Amino acid sequence: MSGPPIPSAAGSAFDFVTETAGIRELRLRSNGLRVLLLENAVAPVVTFAIVYHVGSRNEAVGYTGSTHLLEHLMFKGTPEYSREKGTAIAAVLEAMGARFNATTWFDRTNYYETIPSDQLETAVRLEASRMRGALLRDEDRAPEMTVVRNEFERGENSPFQVLYKDTFAVAFREHPYHHPTIGWRSDIEGVTTARLKEFYDVFYHPNNATAMLIGDFTEPEALAIVERHFGAVPPSPAPIPRVYTVEPPQEGERRFIVRRAGQVAWCALSWRTVEAVHADTHALAVLGNVLGGGLTSRLYQALVENSLALSVTVVPWQLRDPALFSVFAPVRPGVEPSAVEAVIRDEAVRVARDGVTEAEVEKARVQIEAEVIFDRDSTDQIAASLSEAIAVADWEWYAHYPVAIRAVTRADVQRVAAAYFQDDGLTVGTFLPKPTAAVPGAEEDEEDEE
Amino acid sequence: MTRRGFAEQVQRRMLSNGAELLVLENHFNPTLALSGSLYGGPLYAPPDRRTIASMTAGELMKGTERRSKLEIAEDLESRGASLSFSSDSSDPVGTDIAGAALSRDADLLLDRLVEILRTPTFPEEELEKEKKRLAGAIRQQQDQTSARAQDAAARRIYPPGHPFHRRTGEERIARLESLTRSDLQTFYGARYAAGTLRLVVVGDVASDAILDGLERRLADWRRGDPPEIPPVPVPEPVPVSETVEMPDKANADVVLATPATLTRPDPLYLACVLANSALGQSSLTSRLGVRVRDTEGLTYGIHSSFHATHVPGPFVVTVTVKPESRDAAVASTLDEISRFVRDGLTPRELADEKSSRIGKFKVDLASNAGIAQAVDTALYYGLGLEYLDRFGTLVSAVTKEEADAAFARMVKPDAFTIVSAGTFEKVKS
Repeated sequence: MSGPPIPSAAGSAFDFVTETAGIRELRLRSNGLRVLLLENAVAPVVTFAIVYHVGSRNEAVGYTGSTHLLEHLMFKGTPEYSREKGTAIAAVLEAMGARFNATTWFDRTNYYETIPSDQLETAVRLEASRMRGALLRDEDRAPEMTVVRNEFERGENSPFQVLYKDTFAVAFREHPYHHPTIGWRSDIEGVTTARLKEFYDVFYHPNNATAMLIGDFTEPEALAIVERHFGAVPPSPAPIPRVYTVEPPQEGERRFIVRRAGQVAWCALSWRTVEAVHADTHALAVLGNVLGGGLTSRLYQALVENSLALSVTVVPWQLRDPALFSVFAPVRPGVEPSAVEAVIRDEAVRVARDGVTEAEVEKARVQIEAEVIFDRDSTDQIAASLSEAIAVADWEWYAHYPVAIRAVTRADVQRVAAAYFQDDGLTVGTFLPKPTAAVPGAEEDEEDEE
Repeated sequence: MTRRGFAEQVQRRMLSNGAELLVLENHFNPTLALSGSLYGGPLYAPPDRRTIASMTAGELMKGTERRSKLEIAEDLESRGASLSFSSDSSDPVGTDIAGAALSRDADLLLDRLVEILRTPTFPEEELEKEKKRLAGAIRQQQDQTSARAQDAAARRIYPPGHPFHRRTGEERIARLESLTRSDLQTFYGARYAAGTLRLVVVGDVASDAILDGLERRLADWRRGDPPEIPPVPVPEPVPVSETVEMPDKANADVVLATPATLTRPDPLYLACVLANSALGQSSLTSRLGVRVRDTEGLTYGIHSSFHATHVPGPFVVTVTVKPESRDAAVASTLDEISRFVRDGLTPRELADEKSSRIGKFKVDLASNAGIAQAVDTALYYGLGLEYLDRFGTLVSAVTKEEADAAFARMVKPDAFTIVSAGTFEKVKS
């Protein structure tokens, strides 16, 4: 399909907004629900996803983790879909063979299902039902809270997750990126059902959501289905509150240490950067690949090939508000974590001072462009990428991404390295394993029968 | 494109040395996916040195007669392409081959693939470097409650020498350190050959060009040993409980495992899988999930599965818990399994699991990589290409009696080895 006008009777319920790179944006006139369509008949499946523009960024002390806990409760039912009726949401999706889930992140919550294309209407009906009809019962919250607490506990077992959560908590003092999406333990335990309901009533509305259909469908039929199920959902009674907290500039290096039982130390270095829509985002992405994109990357060579670290992960975070450029590395046992930190800092200084080669930039550009093309191999991968894009910027930002990456030059990469690899904007975290030999009974319990 | 049958769409060529090549054209997106296998798994390594197989696969890309590791990596990474060879105890028979590239780089990917398969040099210094890295990685893994629980369960159930036996971290590090370049060269020489090789390419390619290109590069490779799979005995169950105490762990992992006789080619496979789907395939909807997660709130994740390959593996339930909740979670899990074995599936469950399986099959086949893997798997297990076209019919034909009987034959509720790993010393017993 290309360009307006929209054919079919159902189309009359929608305003056409724009179209780029095969993606069409429409808006449901009755309530402002934004709909993105990308036809892709690679297989007889379709991904239906809905992104709510609410994440842990919209929380504060006392109810951190609420967005995520609410996401869990969104599976507990609506008047139409419930376990009591034999129509539990997950069971309905499972029975059609859906690949489905929901995830929560700093800037968004998303619900998605990839399904055989003849099941599209069921998926749309179900998502429409829980947009305003979630039951959110106290008797469901109690057991689900402990489920989520176990999810929190699983995260606490991972040095990587502990370091990333603490990095954000130290690097951000005022902005809500300070607290993790999973929430603080006592908030997970203490938040009331009423508070969750209030959160739901503020943010879960069609005018704060984007629905997307990707895959094997025809536009007139798909729009008719969306209109049929979402058309009567009213828009929010009040404007959606915006986040106005701004993290002030960091004025000096920050450091933290986590000492916990473990086998392997970790280093995490994170520099303050910019918001996803900032013009430097693409150069930072290229820089990320130059430093950490594969075996030939600079940090892999300097750390793993020199037997200092077991692996290295570089993350140029792309979020709605200014974020971080992070490097995480598990330290090879026997090596001092300070040696790994020194190598990472040296490489950062070297890129800022001496720049990078054209071959490095070209390789990074091709890698990122290829990722975007590989995304199109599967409908759920496109949906995932689009969801992230609209959470932090807009879908047109996603459509434009390969072009912007292609335009990144060597000079851009050196400039952003020099601009952001500043000690005053750096947070260094270290995970130091406490010796475990003193644990009574550990060896004895583990003996086997050989 | 999946509207026509797979058997009809796949172009297939058998080389005289036994290599099997398959291509399915899908021109929707300018990419290709590669999936393949050969019989280079740990079952063919000496029983006390199974790790030779995984090291051989892992070191293949470290250099060829023509190119260094860095040159190979540069060639692939500069095009956004990927290639990997892996072998581990999860499949004792096969070495997995996987790759992806933009279709304009198809020739490069296949060229490097064959060069690596046929002329690896296993450089000494790369092996030493990898041994150091892996020793650290094993220590890192020893810090994970899930790995420790799974390892200990495998160690309890499968005797030393069995391909599913798992040694302690320290023992594995010691064995790793004793590996030499000649160990890898010997294993490579014995196992890597065309006779058991299968390569499947799916994507925006021209079948004839791919088949011709691969044939040209592979036709004169040696055939090697015939594709025999030595029988592996299934041990008696070891119904004991064990705790692996690990300090400072907020979450504990529990593994309930029992040896099963199910293999992937077994005619009972689909019946067992349908039954297991109802019992524990999904944390959200299966019986174990509904009871232990949804109703009792004891876990974020509970999951059961048959580990069925050419070699019969265990039936395993994994559950993550707060240490204080372990006993309750284990009791509920065993109770649900007993009830399931006693009463079997409800007709509604069977109908839902059938439609779910058939739907999932379509969803899984919605990408080049998914199709390539499905084709490779069907042939690797001797099911034939037609299996992919008949899958729906085969699933639909399973009766409740068959599913109940197959599951009850495989799983005895009183035969579980139960291992928990985590911080329990502060938990009042």
